[in-house]
Amino acid sequence: MSGNLSVGWFVLISVIKILIAVPILLGIVAYTVWLERKLVGHIQNRWGPSRVGPFGLLQPIADGLKLFFKEDLTPPYVHKALYLLAPILSLTLALTSIAVIPVGGWVTIRGARIPLQITDVNVALLIILGITSMGVYGVALAGWSSNSKYSLLGSLRASAQMVSYEVALGLSLVGVLILSGTFSLRGIVEHQLGGFWNWNIFGGGQIVAFFIYLCAAYAETNRIPFDLPEAETELVAGYHTEYSSMKFAMFFMSEYANMVTVACLASVLFLGGWSGPLFGPPVLQALLPVFWFFLRVLFFLFLYIWVRGTLPRFRYDQLMAFSWKFLLPLAIANVIITSLVVALRS
Amino acid sequence: MPTSFFTGTDYALSLPMILLSLFGLGVLIIDLMLPAEWKRWNAITALIGLGFSTAAVMRIQLGHFADGRPLVGSFAYLSNVGGQVVGSVLMDGFSIYFFYLFLLGAAIAILMSAHYLEIEHEHHGEFYALILFSVVGMMCMASGYDLVLLFIGLELMAISTYVLVGFLRRDKRSNEAALKYLLLGAFSSGIFAYGLSLLYGLSGSTNLQVIAQALQRHYSANPKDPIAIVAMITTATGLLFKVAAVPFHQWAPDAYEGAPTSVTGYMSVAVKSAAWAMLLRIFLWGLYPLRPVYLPLLVFVSVATMTVGNFAALSQNNLKRLLAYSSISHVGYMLLGLIASDNITNKTGIQGILVYLLVYTFMNLGAFAVVTSLRRRDIIGDEIDDIAGLYSKAPTEAVLMLLFLLSLAGIPPLAGFYGKYFIFLSLIQTQHYVLASLAVLYAVLGLYYYMRIGSAMFMRPATDPEPVAISPGMQVALAVTAIGTVGIGILPEFFIRAAGWSLGIQQAGTSLLGFLR
Amino acid sequence: MPQNYVPIFLFVAVVAIAIPATLMIGKLVRPNNPEKAKLMPYECGIDPVDNARGRYTVRFYIVAILFVVFDVETIFLFPWAVQYRALGLFGLVEMLVFLAILIVGYVWIWKKGALEWV
Repeated sequence: MSGNLSVGWFVLISVIKILIAVPILLGIVAYTVWLERKLVGHIQNRWGPSRVGPFGLLQPIADGLKLFFKEDLTPPYVHKALYLLAPILSLTLALTSIAVIPVGGWVTIRGARIPLQITDVNVALLIILGITSMGVYGVALAGWSSNSKYSLLGSLRASAQMVSYEVALGLSLVGVLILSGTFSLRGIVEHQLGGFWNWNIFGGGQIVAFFIYLCAAYAETNRIPFDLPEAETELVAGYHTEYSSMKFAMFFMSEYANMVTVACLASVLFLGGWSGPLFGPPVLQALLPVFWFFLRVLFFLFLYIWVRGTLPRFRYDQLMAFSWKFLLPLAIANVIITSLVVALRS
Repeated sequence: MPTSFFTGTDYALSLPMILLSLFGLGVLIIDLMLPAEWKRWNAITALIGLGFSTAAVMRIQLGHFADGRPLVGSFAYLSNVGGQVVGSVLMDGFSIYFFYLFLLGAAIAILMSAHYLEIEHEHHGEFYALILFSVVGMMCMASGYDLVLLFIGLELMAISTYVLVGFLRRDKRSNEAALKYLLLGAFSSGIFAYGLSLLYGLSGSTNLQVIAQALQRHYSANPKDPIAIVAMITTATGLLFKVAAVPFHQWAPDAYEGAPTSVTGYMSVAVKSAAWAMLLRIFLWGLYPLRPVYLPLLVFVSVATMTVGNFAALSQNNLKRLLAYSSISHVGYMLLGLIASDNITNKTGIQGILVYLLVYTFMNLGAFAVVTSLRRRDIIGDEIDDIAGLYSKAPTEAVLMLLFLLSLAGIPPLAGFYGKYFIFLSLIQTQHYVLASLAVLYAVLGLYYYMRIGSAMFMRPATDPEPVAISPGMQVALAVTAIGTVGIGILPEFFIRAAGWSLGIQQAGTSLLGFLR
Repeated sequence: MPQNYVPIFLFVAVVAIAIPATLMIGKLVRPNNPEKAKLMPYECGIDPVDNARGRYTVRFYIVAILFVVFDVETIFLFPWAVQYRALGLFGLVEMLVFLAILIVGYVWIWKKGALEWV
């Protein structure tokens, strides 16, 4: 990809892409919170945020400023280094996984073909899985270092839940990998281009895998109906009970950043990524894929919030049983059936 | 890159292992459906599995191996060395001999276990499945010609055995033994793997044949090459750990004492034979060029092993510990065979080791079978006091036990004599007179502690009136081991020939027996 | 292309610098007046008793062990899935055997009750 670029340009373009991507991601994170409050408000027949700015649109900024200026307590009984490391680790990992997600095709600027993606590596999916599964460290360290009963219990629950659902999540992707034959997310999307019937969820018959992926991903991000680690009624706030100010905000942001990653990954793996009708002048042709991609991401974020507004919370034994006794065998069956179908077709 | 990963020969060569794995998995699943009083069927299923596997080994021996040329199986990994194709599996007489040995040991161990596990209230199908899986691992160790397969086999066997040692979940000693065995086993596996990685680094291959060629070049270029020596020493340490040679023996008495008695018997014969198979395979095939370097090491280890094993056994009051130390001392004798013969100019010592392992399987399993049968309700039965007066309660058992003990001590008309005889013969053939006389002295010492058990059985009154009941499975096990012990002692010809055949010796048995007469 | 990994490290560097920087800058402007009640572990207003790092149920360990087993199996499936077409029928049969063994183990742990939480 950088064959026709010098090293300097390559690094410069990468840095520019990073500096564009991070604020956009943080913006999406902030406004997902706004969207969630607004939508859940409407679902519950309330108004949601409406005072700060038109439709409460400035609410995220006000929240951010408030958290920034709050007192940051480091209680004396915590393990100082790990207590500080946990939120930084969580947020770093949550943001980093966006680095390999392709948001669109290629753009040509002054003869140089640049992918709309921070970087295209051929093991992108493995990198994302690796980074997101390291997220469990942030949670576990936060709970343990806090030295508080609620925190420890919350982090234990979260760790057990995240590792349980990671198995189903990993297995649900095997079908997609069989179909596309590559770990590169760009390659997986390019395999699905050319109409919605080529999407993995329809053409590949991965609708079961899609369902498994969504369930597992909701659990991985600790969202309702799998939000037991933070079950307010039982555990106050779970693993981040003892955190305040910006450190709390980091956990909060990392949760929403993870949601965005999951939404992106679901679009890329199952819904054809940026594929969609292209028309108009070249500039529009270059930017339309990005629009289609963001439309899908928005749909998934909306789905997250919709589910949150609709479903109650699982009991813990139900949660574990759902993963180990339902999703796991389903995922294994999906792997077997997909491989057999692909073998019969070819 | 090979175009086909598994060839037809590979399937034939791996059939014994595949069958055992299938039966192991089958036992696991069938066990879930069996009510508690039907658990014996697991033992029967496992025995059927061993039978099928034996048939598959026979098929290899009589079909594929009829012309006596070693078979090389690729097992999905072939490397091409100088136009010569080398695979992961070497199926020669050596492998087949050990296959039979493992199957025999496992079958007798299963016969011993069924009733014992019922008494311990731990009669689960997993026991038999684990025994079958460990036999698969042993087969990989005996036939492996590639470091990867050898190591996988070793781990499969070792992990199964760790669980078997801790199988009495409610018994603290069993748990302690399992944990000690696990930790030291993992430690030794680590050292072993380190040695293997160095060997790979030296030769660029995991195949023993290629490693031998590379080591030959290294050794002729620089006999004091430190990396080759470090690789040899770490590999040897790992192997000596597994056979429980001094100074790497400390795990053995603890693990043997805590483990369920039938598992102790199994560990002391089958697991030890597998470790020996791998040790011989690596020392005589892979590390052969370094023989001048490892010989002094082996001399030290074997003398230390005989010394520590025999002297420590003198003061033991626990039967299982005593037999553990005695098994350590037997390892010392067997190491002498490796010192004396190199399998090229002199094969007697190696043949002696193979005969020794075979007779040891019979006599040691027999001894452990008697100890196992001492376990009754409320009586643990592994102290010397528990065996006291056995003659008055169960005369047959006492006589059999005496037979096994005399055989372990190496008294002539019994099988144990031939094991020692060939080792000493090889020492004399190669002019190792000091080692030979030392070994004979220690053998006399061995007689003392074996006879301590004997005198307790016959001379002392019984400490408890509880009768010794023998289950049908145990009767079969005792019969087989006793017939083996006495039979090999009286008619050794066939077995000596078999050991010779496995090493490719033509008509070796007759000439050696001629020497004896 | 190895150079394609460079932006990931750049990304990690940017984020890992920006986040602590935010915390440092925040330190300059936020208040800091801790007091005894604020610094107690939060237990809904009740004075905490006992150490927080006590013993907890063994089921979490079981979940961890099961996770290791099954996640390693998943990792084995990944390269197989990517090379699925290249491996052909042999790959399919081999992986079905692998999955059969996995399923036997799965049935076994289920029946043994390792998946029950209560």
